Amino acid sequence: MEFLSSTFTSYMALVPVTLSQSLILAFVVMGIMIPFRTLHFPDLTSEGAYPLGGCVCGVLIAAGVNPALAIVAALLCGFLAGCCTALIHLRFRIHTLLAGILMMTMLYSINLRIMGKSNLSIFGSDSVYNWAPFVTPGFPASKIIIAGIIGAGVFLALNWFFKTEKGTALRAVGSNPAMAEAQGISVWVSTIVGVGLASAFSATSGALMVQSQGFADVNMGLGILINGLAALMIGEAVVGKQSVFRQLLAPFVGAIIYYQLVSLCLAAGMPPPDLKLATGLFVLAMLALPSLKRGRGAGGTPAREKFRE
Amino acid sequence: MLEIRSARKVFYAGQADEKVALDNLDLTLQTGEFGVVIGSNGAGKSTMLNAISGALPLDSGQILINGDDVTNTPVHTRATRIARVFQDPMLGTAASMTVAENMLLAELRSTKRTLARGLNAKRLADYKERLSALGLGLENRLETKVELLSGGQRQSLSLIMAVGGSPDLLLLDEHTAALDPRTADLVMQATVRAVDNLKLTTLMVTHNMQHAVDYGHRVIMLDAGRVKLEIGGAEKANVTVAKLVEHFAVKTDAMMLGA
Ligand SMILES: Nc1ncnc2c1ncn2[C@@H]1O[C@H](COP(=O)(O)OP(=O)(O)OP(=O)(O)O)[C@@H](O)[C@H]1O
Ligand SMILES: [Mg+2]
Repeated sequence: MEFLSSTFTSYMALVPVTLSQSLILAFVVMGIMIPFRTLHFPDLTSEGAYPLGGCVCGVLIAAGVNPALAIVAALLCGFLAGCCTALIHLRFRIHTLLAGILMMTMLYSINLRIMGKSNLSIFGSDSVYNWAPFVTPGFPASKIIIAGIIGAGVFLALNWFFKTEKGTALRAVGSNPAMAEAQGISVWVSTIVGVGLASAFSATSGALMVQSQGFADVNMGLGILINGLAALMIGEAVVGKQSVFRQLLAPFVGAIIYYQLVSLCLAAGMPPPDLKLATGLFVLAMLALPSLKRGRGAGGTPAREKFRE
Repeated sequence: MLEIRSARKVFYAGQADEKVALDNLDLTLQTGEFGVVIGSNGAGKSTMLNAISGALPLDSGQILINGDDVTNTPVHTRATRIARVFQDPMLGTAASMTVAENMLLAELRSTKRTLARGLNAKRLADYKERLSALGLGLENRLETKVELLSGGQRQSLSLIMAVGGSPDLLLLDEHTAALDPRTADLVMQATVRAVDNLKLTTLMVTHNMQHAVDYGHRVIMLDAGRVKLEIGGAEKANVTVAKLVEHFAVKTDAMMLGA
């Protein structure tokens, strides 16, 4: 009883902070959802694009650039990184996962170059969260409001875009590239733009996070992809993915639930270093579920290349 | 009009298992003409269609559509003039998207896609009407994902998608081969109706000799990557299944003698 109530109080105290974090990290989850689900282009670039956005934003803010401009710059850098991953895959026919790992590895050096050191404090600098209406800057509420507004904007924009003629074409490339091409859609352009867009979201997330925590770190992306995947799966389990609307909602809902769960585990005394193992096991369980349901032996050993996502 | 000029395609060139799939193939199809392509397995029929659509680059030769050389244009550019139905019902549609969305993609094949809303009321009404012509009830399932349709329904949808917008050239590669006889007949009837009504320049590959006899203006027989035989005009009107099969038989004999 004692344990439960102390867990509960420490968890409740963290709810606002966790909520603000999860709204910021929802953009990475979006950056993972688009390649994995919409484009069928399993992609790991986000693990490098997220710190890239953070580093670019950190350096610019330290140089006195407007925080909103710093986010836009981070977004553009992320877009370029995603384009590179897509190009590596398309031009050299390298597996998407490997293309992403290559990009992520190279980005680590690039991020270090951008910052010139592994860690940069921008504590006390102006941030977009200072512009939140009605609330005192610096509190979680301001972050929830700003990240929430941007998130709602992104959600509405994507929900509109994916139903336009161009957006429908982009989804077709993910659904059946050969068919899309036969319908006059350039698979190259769509893939490059789509993966670029996804990485732009990851970078935006990194930029928002840096402004929220007051420092940038080259290692800030470590494990972000698996966290994002876990969040995505939770979101899809809750809201489903049958329609464009639900599929777009899943990253936000998933991020919110996932980070609250993490916070609950930590409040219950789980040592933080074990978190990655727990998340990894969770993702593994979610991926394994369909095959466990089908039972072992059915279908024999899968062909090496035919793994899912 | 479609012109293929000495098209050549060699797979595994220079290797032990080198395979000449198209051997300086020449073929001309007049505007509005319906050509039926027959030939044994491995004769190069699919390779020819892939070369026309741009899915396979030629080693040499040229492809002209309405006089324009399209030999070096990519698939998606050629798609503005060419519509295609594949043998595999899975290939021609986007499975995870709805019937209406698939119709939309096909409608936009030859136009520039904009940032306007894709599925508007006018389009939906138009799709409903076009699909109802099939008599499969697809017009009431516009919001259904294509993956939930049967192979026959998917193939019928592919056909309606392909003939919409009157493409300069329609390519059909054994598009009824994967269907049960009744559905195959239905899809075939719909094909012939559309091709006749819209006067589509069409190239249809089939292994069904009855279809080759019944439909089209000209039978084109491929063998080892070349046109071995063409039957058109009055001769086509009088040709029989037995006669067509004879040409296959002669070839087999020739092969045995040659070997
Ligand atoms: N992608 C490819 N790679 C290697 N060889 C190929 C390829 N595509 C076709 N071939 C070879 O080219 C030749 C012609 O094949 P094609 O598929 O055009 O025949 P087809 O006339 O369509 O036969 P079918 O009636 O069986 O469909 C065959 O010998 C085939 O093995
Ligand atoms: Mg074939």
